[in-house]
Amino acid sequence: MKNSKNIILGLGLALISFGCADLEEKPVGVFAPETFFNTPKDVETAVLGSYGVLASEPLFGRQFNSALMLRSDMVDIGNRATSAERIQVNDFNMDSNNGMVSRFWPVWFQVINAANAAESGGESLGLKAEEINPLIAEAKFVRAFSYFHLVRVFGELPYINFAVSDPTALKNISKSSEAEIYAGIIADLEFAKQWLPSKQKNDVRSRPTAGTAASYLASVYLTQGNYQKAYDEAKFVIDNKDLFGYRLEADFRSLWIAANADNVKETIFAMDFLGQVNVGSQNDDLIPNMTGVINFQPGTFGVSVPSLKVYQTWDNKDYRKEVSLVDTIVFNAVVRAFPEFTTPRPHIYKWTQSPGNSNTGGRFSDHNYIDMRYAEVLLIAAEAGAEVGKPGTETAGYLNQVRERARNWGGRMTNFPEDVSTGLTKAQLIDLTMDDRRLELAFEWKRWYDIKRRKLGESVFRGPNSLEPRTNFDPSRDYLFPLPNSELIINPNLAPNNPGY
Amino acid sequence: MALLFLLGCTPIFLKAQTRQVSGTVTSDAGETMPGVSIVVKGTTTGTTTAIDGKYSINADQGTTLVFSFIGMISQELAVGNSTILNVELATDISQLEEVIVVGYGTQRKSDLTGSVSSIKAAELTAFPVANAVQALQGRAAGVSVQANNGDPGGALKVRIRGGNSINASSDPLFVVDGFIGGTIPAPEDIQSMEVLKDASATAIYGSRGANGVIMVTTKKGKAGKTKIDFNTSFASQEPVRRMDMLNAAQFLDYTQEVLPNYISGGADTNWQDEIFRTGGIQNYQLAVSGGTEKMNYYVSGAFFDQTGVIINSGFERYSLTSNLNFNASDKITVGLNLFARREGKNGVVTQEGSGGANSAGVVGSSLRFMPDLPVTNPDGSFTIAKIGDPIDNPFAVASQREDENVADLLQANIFVNFDITKNLTFKTTLGAKTDNGRRGIFVPTTLNQGLNIGGGASISSFKNTNIINENYLTYSKIFGEKHNFSILGGYSIQKSQNTNWLARSQSFITNSVSYWNLEGGSVPQIPNSGFSEVQIASLYSRINYSFNSKYLFTFNARYDGSSNFSKNNKWAFFPSGAFAWNMKDEKFLQESSLFSDFKWRVSYGLTGNQAIAPYQTLARFSNVFTVINGSPVNAVRPTTVANDDLTWETTRQLDFGVDIGLFENRINLTADYYRSVTSDLLFSVPLPSYSGFGSQLQNIGKIENKGFELGITTVNTRGEFDWRTSVNISTNRNKVLELPDGNDILYGSGPGHLIGLGQTQILRVGEPVGSFFGWIYDGVYQNGDTFLPGGGFEQVAGGEKFRDIDGEKDANGKLTGNPDGRLNADDRTIIGNGQAKFIWGLNNDFSYKGFDLNIFFQGSQGNKILSYTLLELETLSGSINSTTEALNRWTPANTDTDVPSRTLNRTQRVSSRWVFDGSYVRLKNIALGYNFPRAMTEKVSISKLRIYVSAQNILTFSDYRGFDPEVNYSSAGATNSNRNLGLDYASYPNAKSLTIGMNISF
Repeated sequence: MKNSKNIILGLGLALISFGCADLEEKPVGVFAPETFFNTPKDVETAVLGSYGVLASEPLFGRQFNSALMLRSDMVDIGNRATSAERIQVNDFNMDSNNGMVSRFWPVWFQVINAANAAESGGESLGLKAEEINPLIAEAKFVRAFSYFHLVRVFGELPYINFAVSDPTALKNISKSSEAEIYAGIIADLEFAKQWLPSKQKNDVRSRPTAGTAASYLASVYLTQGNYQKAYDEAKFVIDNKDLFGYRLEADFRSLWIAANADNVKETIFAMDFLGQVNVGSQNDDLIPNMTGVINFQPGTFGVSVPSLKVYQTWDNKDYRKEVSLVDTIVFNAVVRAFPEFTTPRPHIYKWTQSPGNSNTGGRFSDHNYIDMRYAEVLLIAAEAGAEVGKPGTETAGYLNQVRERARNWGGRMTNFPEDVSTGLTKAQLIDLTMDDRRLELAFEWKRWYDIKRRKLGESVFRGPNSLEPRTNFDPSRDYLFPLPNSELIINPNLAPNNPGY
Repeated sequence: MALLFLLGCTPIFLKAQTRQVSGTVTSDAGETMPGVSIVVKGTTTGTTTAIDGKYSINADQGTTLVFSFIGMISQELAVGNSTILNVELATDISQLEEVIVVGYGTQRKSDLTGSVSSIKAAELTAFPVANAVQALQGRAAGVSVQANNGDPGGALKVRIRGGNSINASSDPLFVVDGFIGGTIPAPEDIQSMEVLKDASATAIYGSRGANGVIMVTTKKGKAGKTKIDFNTSFASQEPVRRMDMLNAAQFLDYTQEVLPNYISGGADTNWQDEIFRTGGIQNYQLAVSGGTEKMNYYVSGAFFDQTGVIINSGFERYSLTSNLNFNASDKITVGLNLFARREGKNGVVTQEGSGGANSAGVVGSSLRFMPDLPVTNPDGSFTIAKIGDPIDNPFAVASQREDENVADLLQANIFVNFDITKNLTFKTTLGAKTDNGRRGIFVPTTLNQGLNIGGGASISSFKNTNIINENYLTYSKIFGEKHNFSILGGYSIQKSQNTNWLARSQSFITNSVSYWNLEGGSVPQIPNSGFSEVQIASLYSRINYSFNSKYLFTFNARYDGSSNFSKNNKWAFFPSGAFAWNMKDEKFLQESSLFSDFKWRVSYGLTGNQAIAPYQTLARFSNVFTVINGSPVNAVRPTTVANDDLTWETTRQLDFGVDIGLFENRINLTADYYRSVTSDLLFSVPLPSYSGFGSQLQNIGKIENKGFELGITTVNTRGEFDWRTSVNISTNRNKVLELPDGNDILYGSGPGHLIGLGQTQILRVGEPVGSFFGWIYDGVYQNGDTFLPGGGFEQVAGGEKFRDIDGEKDANGKLTGNPDGRLNADDRTIIGNGQAKFIWGLNNDFSYKGFDLNIFFQGSQGNKILSYTLLELETLSGSINSTTEALNRWTPANTDTDVPSRTLNRTQRVSSRWVFDGSYVRLKNIALGYNFPRAMTEKVSISKLRIYVSAQNILTFSDYRGFDPEVNYSSAGATNSNRNLGLDYASYPNAKSLTIGMNISF
């Protein structure tokens, strides 16, 4: 009897525990996409995620913008013991296994995917246009922004403008042509221009406004050679600059003081980094480290350093040279001139002069990395206006606004660079504008795109006045980067790679 | 003889009556034997011999007394007229009666159909170790134990028959006294460890058995007088080897060759001397055990303290084990095992993931740091590297940085065993474990790393709970004397919950608060926390049938359901079958005097690897740190895509084995051939990046491990001079059979600050996991050589010369395998891998009179090492120190060398120059002990007193030029522990020890 009682007790124990098994997971601290979007605030949270990825080391923190900087004739390699992938990008002998490309390519698509998810989440709410379109417009802007960079760097590539829930379905898609991609970009920017506000909350410049969309439309049309439309959009921004809150900063140097970055009214769109917060590759910027003087700016790597000719051909009377380049540093109370620098050339100064609250060498700085500022819109208006035959008074006028600001040498007015004459020919004005772009927007990853859209490669790399001679520059290949080989292996439909790779 | 004499002298009683029978039990070596069990056959009356071997028991004349003791042949003697019955027991060198612990029960060795290795207590305590698993190294065929890093309390990599996975853990399952996933106590508290290797033995653990199972049985008390055991040892330790670096004068010469303006710092510091010290171990264990017929107990406290061979590093462990078993009634036995432990660790940075300006580790910087700088500047601050990366000096990093880890663990295991009938038993168990720890790290401003941020502090903690309940019935019966049948069936449920959190802050007023004042930091960092939960429910069963003890059949199965598994695949079934044939019992061998044992075994089955982490099958958005207008805002982005079909990994293993005994088991041989194929490997299948997701977890891929194990134990001589040998040797061939789309997967494992190393290893079909991938080094270019062009490759005399092996493309753009005259990424190939061709252990035990001598060799053959340490030091390009190899570098005056020239323009790259032979033979332990004679010790009530001296790791034969060939860099976490084998960077050297110790039993 005692035995059967025990048996029953034991079996009872067993049965109770059987009933306690629940194998369904209830995740805590994790977000599920299916149930995430309920209000516009959720859509905003998703859109903001894409900015977080833009402000990361593989994109504007270091890899992507450094690749563009090195590719141009304004920036060369300083420390030649740096990793081979950077040397290859700079020297035009990269291959499809290039490490810089394999680092930034996937992250661009994380941005695009985040934007697509936010857009689709917004559309799923079924709200009225006025309530939700500004946020959807932001998502579309981010996608357009990303593809605008990608199409200029890679040419044809897969165009994804929908939220992805089954990635294996995308395994065999083909590349879209540049025309298709540009069509998508323009459509997104038009929507954005229509629905984005004129100013964001607190006038932040790391979120787009209608002015941002119009400025980028101007740049897209300029790249395509559609100068009439480029001019129209640029003019639109210029005419409405007060509505959007754009103006040229009085002192050119104030653009590069990190502590002041959030107050720069010239910024049209920037990636916002916060000083000293270390959370992985997010918020990690190393442009100061990449451009600093190794031996006199401790913690820097001196990788991206302009050639000596950049310094020698830039007029000393130009304040912007003074701000953009550094040729002497006071180190341990001793003045050191550039021949004593580890790489004996003047270095880029824009990001190392005032990184604000930052770590060694300027890493994790407070900089906002500006991708478009008002000065560029003026330069676009000048160039596009000249191309379509706008009067010299107008086009030269735009150029001269930029030059006038440049004459303000930290509070003291100088007379260099002089105003441009209004009577120049179209060709002269365009040449002048291209050169003004080179100096005004120096080291801001603009020059390579200019070389590419105007097909200046042979003359700037192989011509007699080349700032960075590269006799191996091959115009049939080197205007484009190769798609990463790993992608072609996974999806053979992406073959062939860009010509020459 | 003595028996007959006594019989004759004793009055003979005519009537049979219960009376006191007494006597002395001795062994065949002449020693009296305490603890021998004496039972009146057919009753429950019993006793044990006392310390002097004497016993006394109530027994009727005509009954039989059964004398038994582990390791001795049992004897049954009839109680005759005499009241004195002395017995001499003979040593049983047969291992047939040995009892082996298997899943959910025990089996006699002769009945075993699976492949199981058994390691006894003596081998586990041969020398003091922080973790009992360390003592398994070289002891069992097919079991590989390696220290990843030599730090005190450091992690060990255990592999049974090779690594079965790539992205999931290949660690074996530990079962402690039946508690699946329990924690092992101090080595002195372990009775035995059984390693279950083939499917027949492991399938009963179902979805967790694929990597083998290590059963740990803790010591229990025995009926009889209370025993007190005290074991202590002290060891003095040094690093096994030092590296030969340039001294200040050589460094000056070496640096000025490329930096003519370099000025020496004036000192001559040997940085290895600054960071290494004589380390030590002290180990104490005190156990009290005993019992009666109805209960037994074992209580033990242990303390282990290791001072590391690098300053400011150490490990200590305090533990308490309490095992209690008692008979609640005739039919019910209850057991309660309690275990409590505290571990503390002081760590220094070694094997750092990135050793750049502010994160160089102690060993890495001791090799790189310029020898011409003193430890401190005249103002008392620590020196920092003057050229190159501004790293802190090694002494500063070791002594200034604080890293303290304290973890507490409580484990309880209760079981109740009902003997329902003679043949049917029911057992129910409840195990519970809670584990929590805290790690504090502080980087003060005396280090460059801390100076820039004003001091950085962090505290991280975790708390894990694990509960398991098992219920099973076992039925066994012998039908018709020949058919031995037993069946086991059970149900189990296990729940575990893991939580963790971390808080950090920077910029403090003073260094003295360390990490105990996070609110005082003016730059707080982002905290984080995490939670996960897993539940597993299972049904399992085993059937054993043997015919005449000659033909043995076993069938195992387990049906597991886990919450980790995806929606569509929650349950998994794992069966296995085995057959064994005791050929010795066949007519043609029965009378053989050559063979005392001859058993063939074959088994085949499926086991699983849980592999999937909690929530891994679900789609997810994750937080993204985003700043708007200078402040962080809430932001998320899609990071994971769901896989509703994800399933566990399955291993199918086939095993053929034979156990042979020769010359009455003086020679025992066990050999096994096995082949396992693991399929449905969990893979982060690279998705096209343009999908926005880097990868999706899918079940694609197969790995094969096949190999041969041989274990031989011999009793070479017996008697006064006793010499026994045991040797084991295992080979394993690991091969990737299938990868997603058959494509190569390239990945990198180099330290982050060695930029440009890029991809260093490859997963390729047909090759072992983790093969090294790089260029082939062909020596140094000489004047007049043709220099091969290539971006980033040298084209000068004195430069590194690499081989052009590929690059030509056919019409479709595919590589043809022909050289193209250019050096680039296409010229890379597989240059080695870290898997050993074979591993072995050779143990010799000698004893003569009271002395015992143990010599234990252990080794690994055929494994290669990719040394990032030597890559960093000997590329000879940069501003860091180098090894004395640099003295043989190419110069126009010294052209006959394969060490290239000194330069500043050489890219660091993975090539065959950095792949070294990691084979080694190591004298793991040599111990000489002396057992004081019983006669002497009994005078002070001591039953055993042994003192010994020993040395561990004192001889290592290896060609590897790094610290030690037993090393695995970047090998923690599931994926890396499989893919990163044989890498070395800035590792904490293993230690060699000189030990003295004492064992006392009262």
